[in-house]
Amino acid sequence: MMKKLSRIFSVCIVCSMLLVIGGCSKTAAKTTIKIAVAGPMTGDNSEYGIGFKNAVELMIKQWNAKGGVLKNQIELVVYDDKNSPEEGANVGQKIASDKSIIGVIGHFSSGVTMTATPTYQDNKIILIAPSASHPDFTKQGNFIFRNNAVISTEAKEVIDLAVNYHKAKKIGILAIKTDWGTSTKNVIVQIIKDQYAAKGIEVVDVEEVVEGSDDYTPNITKMKQAGVDTIIGACMYATLAPFTKQYKLVDPSINIVGFSNAYTQNLLNLGGKSVEGLTFPVIFFSQSTEANVASFVTEYKAAYNSVPSSLTAQAYDSVGILLTAIKQVGSLDRDKIRDAVAGITYAGVTGSTTFNATRDAVKPFNKVIIKDGQFTKLAY
Amino acid sequence: MFAQQIFNGLSIGMAYALVAVGYSLVFGILRLINFSHGSVYAFGAMMTLFFVSTRIGIIPAIIVSALLSGIVAALVNKWTLEPLRLKNSSKIASLITTIGVSNVIQNMLIIVFGSQREAFPAFMDFGSVTIGNSLVIKSSQIVVFVVGLILLLVLTIIVNKTKFGLSMKAVQQNMRAASLMGIENNRVITITFFLGGVTAAIGGALLGGYYQIAYPMMGAMLGLKAFAASVLGGIGVLYGSVIGGLIVGVIESLAATYLGGTYRDLVAFLILIIVLIIRPNGIFGKKTTEKV
Amino acid sequence: MKMNKKKSIKFTSLTSKLLIASLVLFVLAFPFLGFSSYIIRIAVMIMVYCMLALGLNILTGCTGQVSLGNAGFYAIGAYCAGILATKFNAGFMVCLIVAMIVTAISGLIIGIPTLRLKGSYLSIVTLGFGEIVRLILLNWEALTNGPLGVRNIPKPSFFGLTLTLNNGGMYFQAVILLSLIALVCYLVMKSKYGRTFNAIKEDELAANMMGINCAFYKTLAFVLSATISGIAGCFYAYVITYIEPNMFNFDTSIMILSIVILGGMGSIRGMLLGSLILVSFPEVFRFLNEYRFVIYGIALVVLMRYRPQGILGGRSSKPYPLPKALRERVDSLNSDVGSYE
Repeated sequence: MMKKLSRIFSVCIVCSMLLVIGGCSKTAAKTTIKIAVAGPMTGDNSEYGIGFKNAVELMIKQWNAKGGVLKNQIELVVYDDKNSPEEGANVGQKIASDKSIIGVIGHFSSGVTMTATPTYQDNKIILIAPSASHPDFTKQGNFIFRNNAVISTEAKEVIDLAVNYHKAKKIGILAIKTDWGTSTKNVIVQIIKDQYAAKGIEVVDVEEVVEGSDDYTPNITKMKQAGVDTIIGACMYATLAPFTKQYKLVDPSINIVGFSNAYTQNLLNLGGKSVEGLTFPVIFFSQSTEANVASFVTEYKAAYNSVPSSLTAQAYDSVGILLTAIKQVGSLDRDKIRDAVAGITYAGVTGSTTFNATRDAVKPFNKVIIKDGQFTKLAY
Repeated sequence: MFAQQIFNGLSIGMAYALVAVGYSLVFGILRLINFSHGSVYAFGAMMTLFFVSTRIGIIPAIIVSALLSGIVAALVNKWTLEPLRLKNSSKIASLITTIGVSNVIQNMLIIVFGSQREAFPAFMDFGSVTIGNSLVIKSSQIVVFVVGLILLLVLTIIVNKTKFGLSMKAVQQNMRAASLMGIENNRVITITFFLGGVTAAIGGALLGGYYQIAYPMMGAMLGLKAFAASVLGGIGVLYGSVIGGLIVGVIESLAATYLGGTYRDLVAFLILIIVLIIRPNGIFGKKTTEKV
Repeated sequence: MKMNKKKSIKFTSLTSKLLIASLVLFVLAFPFLGFSSYIIRIAVMIMVYCMLALGLNILTGCTGQVSLGNAGFYAIGAYCAGILATKFNAGFMVCLIVAMIVTAISGLIIGIPTLRLKGSYLSIVTLGFGEIVRLILLNWEALTNGPLGVRNIPKPSFFGLTLTLNNGGMYFQAVILLSLIALVCYLVMKSKYGRTFNAIKEDELAANMMGINCAFYKTLAFVLSATISGIAGCFYAYVITYIEPNMFNFDTSIMILSIVILGGMGSIRGMLLGSLILVSFPEVFRFLNEYRFVIYGIALVVLMRYRPQGILGGRSSKPYPLPKALRERVDSLNSDVGSYE
């Protein structure tokens, strides 16, 4: 009895001690400046989280080479939220308990990020999200910033491409069953109903798929049956590439428009010849000849052996915005830094970024088309 | 459109059948659900991709990765499951172990290869045949069918016509009696796992080529659905797995058409539950009597 | 010699009482000891998982029905609370009661058709059930918002006092719920019901022959397990304030099962220990980030190989020591969780 009890007791003590050690932040020097990256580093969406980490790491390295910010080196801390709301909230708490973290770049999906945003807001930690798209995202507090297009803005661009470039009449929508996919689908349907129905353009079929299903033949057959001439794909490259491949086998002349989060080298790798002719609205164009974009792409390729995608570039700019704001303010006063971020005009690799009154980024869109296995600028 | 959807379903179904056969083999002999089968399938596909990048050609790549996967499956048995059998452990222990192994294999694949989807070479695309005026059959579908049937034939011959197959059945019926008859139980079981691993890898390569996509997590959902297929057909009966797979595929395709794309997965599980409740031994399974 | 033994028993009893008392004090004073809200959150999650493990324990540890789908009951409880709290502004107690009723009914739904099934087949049906619940939650957008999930679940409030993680309110709520559930489990296991469950676990056929109505007791086990998981789910929704269907998937069911197995089937203390270890492990070993899941898998395999009865399982709960030979026999029987198909 005694042995059992003392065994349990000692295990409990050891566990709690480990927890305390793990949970307590290191007593950092008062002037260490830490920036956190939160996102899925393991599991299904880890490629995106790792992309964020790479981008932020690159930017921090560049700043540290020039002496850091406020005469201090910047330190990067990475947190894995496994793209789950439970972990997201945990990560938020963990970051909040480390007082030397001044800002967070992340997380990946809106829903997960929003479990942590109350914590960030309460602890005056600046959050700049490179991939959040939920309409209510920035309503959580004035320390919450979104450096990504709002769904409705991007949807308008996508529909414009479909209608004015592809001359669509019968539109089909392919949407993944995630919070982003479902919201986007609803927004597209609404916009087309409101603004384009009078011109005789309609949505004839909506196909929802679960991410990770590799077989789209039933959906394709249905779309073809409905007489779709243009498809809007509210999905990531992992769905868009195989879907396009399978569709082109059935109907080689189909037009497909995607969203900017599918704009990545992986789409070209996975889709091969079948993704020729796909169009996208983008904020970041990796083939741009502008000096800062070209050097970013070259350095990223050299360091991480892959071409940066739209989302990666947005993360890169997000941390740039944060560091520039800190430098502008000249101190670690969080409120002042927040104000600086809110009012900033930042010339980055995704063009000139400003935040509007609801702290959403305002960005101009370019259009690209895939030609000869490369993304090329499109004008029409 | 109906005919096309049926045909789509048959193709998906053949894919399930290829994986279901592996479950059947192991369950038949050990009455154990081998959860790690799905991850061996993904391992097979990723390994094929890896060997293709070393430019030895697609068919040699498939052969090498099939052998490797078979070895991995056999090692899983030898290192983790056999000691449990020796200790007379409970069935849950083996079940949990296979789940743990599945975790390990899948996450090691993610660590080594990354979680992104990779393009799989399209080695089966020779064009398509159009029947009537709406039924399109792709060459890759035909290849999947044919290879699947050949595999089934080979396995059936092994199980029914060879001495090894006889010893498999003996171990299935009564392990103790089999060992008394001079059969090395553990060797038979290990080779069964090896066969299961080889079929999984071939399935992985075929499906990778069919969808032209491969990634570490590809075995997760497919494994569960293939399991539903093998249960439907009668777990432990090889041709049952194939019939079961085809049925699951067709029902899934029809569900995707008439109910909406996201109901596909639901349908597979519903089939599973309904079959298990109404007819637990599946369509072709044999009823076993429990002796007291 | 005899004097010594008596003395050592007395010593043991007093020391163990002191240990228990100090443990209880520690638990009660926990939120005020200056830990960060992150640690308090972990402690609350440990308690939630302990509740889930206790629920599964009744079904698997006591009655031997291995369920791979308890995440389904968990999800139903959480969604009941989430939907009622956000759409109908229901209070915590209302949500709790509704969650209990709905999950109890779902326990019936899964328990009755599976009466004929044994062993692995039963496990697979529960697996199917867990996935079906998740898929229904994902697709029934009108009720559950589908993939968008249920957001902004308000914190529970009693008599005007809002409980949050920060003010320690939710921590004590968790302690109360957990204690109640543990008490119910303890009473059930000690009663004739518990003994019947164990009989079914050891040998269902023999139990049938002895006149036990196995159908009734198995269904009862399912309903109890479901209700307890539903309570945990309801509370969890309040802790996390945002629920979506993919949080309640197969991996969650496996996590709960692992806690039961690790802690030791049939042992209440084991559940607490198991959840303590398995919930704090990923937090402590965060630096092993990438390899976290691999280590988790290896741990499961090693555990099954070297100590399948778990840490605190398979122990005789009799107050007197059995003779060695008999003890060995009992232990070897206990480590085998019933005869399986």
